[in-house]
Amino acid sequence: MISAAALTRRAAPVLACAALLAVWQIASLALKSDSFPTALEAIRTIPDILGDQESLINILASLRRMAIGFGIAVLVSIPLGLLMGRSRAVAAFFNPLLMVIYPVPKAALMPIIMLWLGVGDITKTLVIFLGVSLPVIYHSFEGAKAVEEKMLWSGAAMGLSPLQRLARIVLPAALPEILTGCRTGLVLALITMITSEMIARQSGAGNILFNALDMGQYDTVYAMIIIVGAMGICLDAAFERIRARLVRWSEPQFDMPLSFS
Amino acid sequence: MKVVPSRSSEWVRPVTSQRPASTIIEIDRVSQVFQTSARKDHLALSDISLTIEEGAFVSILGPSGCGKSTLLYIVGGFVSPTTGAAKMKGQAITGPGPDRGPVFQEFALFPWKTVLGNVMYGPRQQGVRANEAEVQSRALIEMVGLKGYENFYPKELSGGMKQRVALARTLAYHPEVLLMDEPFGALDAHTRTRLQNDLLNIWERDRKTVLFVTHSVDEAVFLSDKVVMMSKSPGRIREVIEIDLPRPRRRNELLLDPRYQKCVVDIERMFDESDKVGSPS
Ligand SMILES: Nc1ncnc2c1ncn2[C@@H]1O[C@H](COP(=O)(O)OP(=O)(O)O)[C@@H](O)[C@H]1O
Ligand SMILES: [Mg+2]
Repeated sequence: MISAAALTRRAAPVLACAALLAVWQIASLALKSDSFPTALEAIRTIPDILGDQESLINILASLRRMAIGFGIAVLVSIPLGLLMGRSRAVAAFFNPLLMVIYPVPKAALMPIIMLWLGVGDITKTLVIFLGVSLPVIYHSFEGAKAVEEKMLWSGAAMGLSPLQRLARIVLPAALPEILTGCRTGLVLALITMITSEMIARQSGAGNILFNALDMGQYDTVYAMIIIVGAMGICLDAAFERIRARLVRWSEPQFDMPLSFS
Repeated sequence: MKVVPSRSSEWVRPVTSQRPASTIIEIDRVSQVFQTSARKDHLALSDISLTIEEGAFVSILGPSGCGKSTLLYIVGGFVSPTTGAAKMKGQAITGPGPDRGPVFQEFALFPWKTVLGNVMYGPRQQGVRANEAEVQSRALIEMVGLKGYENFYPKELSGGMKQRVALARTLAYHPEVLLMDEPFGALDAHTRTRLQNDLLNIWERDRKTVLFVTHSVDEAVFLSDKVVMMSKSPGRIREVIEIDLPRPRRRNELLLDPRYQKCVVDIERMFDESDKVGSPS
């Protein structure tokens, strides 16, 4: 049997979405503006978009860039962050570099990257990579720094080499923190994905959105916002499930069931 | 306890009965200086020389901050001394190794591994096959009194249970010397005495060499063959006392034994005297 508390927890996101749509519907009916379709109109447009082959290809291309950018960023950032956390020299070298890059909006770098690499997949994937890297590096770094030294000593006494200790002690010990960074990175991947397609308008979900805006197809604009938002929510929820599974051994911590981005 | 032969010499070495007086660890004029600030140096250990015999239970006893842990870490190879050297069986200690197994006050278990996973970690690292390591580890878990907890994660265990796991994890890879740094310091009094009893029982089976750091006089006297008393600022050896109480020792018998009581009182008196004579600050 599901307890009342569990039921409330599961129903909460659904209720929140429903409330949001209701407010939207009422506001739209009250304002009666051409550029502000009702929630129902927007939702009715979604099947049209997803049924259209070209739109679907565009959206899938976006997701593919996002997956590649996110994947490479995670593969590079975790080892780098862990090394920084365990080696003062590595941290001293990369920290200033990252401090400079950190506050720069990655999308602001796009014009330069476009000049070098064009407006194609590589540029957009690179921007996603940059957006995801920093939170993952930062959290891996913090996680690695916090690993108890005695744990590493215990490993050393068992005969683990420094590299084995990094992979088999620091990595698992820092995993909860690393995955927190990855979760932030995933949301940032979606944000930079859309942003990059707004700047380099050639293909992708962001492109559909802004083309529709240019042509005054407001139903499509709002429908795309719902689609992108739903993608974010689903990706985040899926990731959270995996995360919770991987770090079940660590202390329970308070967490929102979903993060809305 | 079975020793996994890792070097060829161990195959050829004749099986001799353990000579009680052979030295296993030698600490030779070790000093340790820590730089506390840019200009200030702190002499944590000053000219420590000590030999430890194979199979002996030796305690290092002294007030907090006298360098007990540092000395233990030097033997463990986790810290290298500023001057002097520590040797294990005549070989200079240059780093940690499976011949010296640490047990820390902080337990330092791997929280992502179950009890069984923690205990198996060492043997697996040494190349013991998984099923063999599991059988050995389950036996050790039973020996430290945790049968039934094999699949628990460290966060689900109490402090005393965690320290039992830590002991089993270290025993699992058959170190020749156990290095224990105030292992029961974080436990409540009741759990502490139970673990002291259990540790003695386990030790009395195979008489592994133990170097045991504590600041508790009765813990040192109850457990040890030899108590190394240290004093503070700088960390020095004050006195080395042999504890000639008979074994096997039972706590409830020992507490009533006048020889035990005399040992404890004598040591406490020595510390009191050094406090009075010590620096007026
Ligand atoms: N890594 C370190 N850096 C600076 N000072 C240290 C370090 N480790 C220990 N010390 C100092 O050395 C002294 C002895 O420490 P420790 O060996 O931990 O003593 P004990 O274990 O007897 O309490 C203390 O004054 C402590 O502050
Ligand atoms: Mg200490």
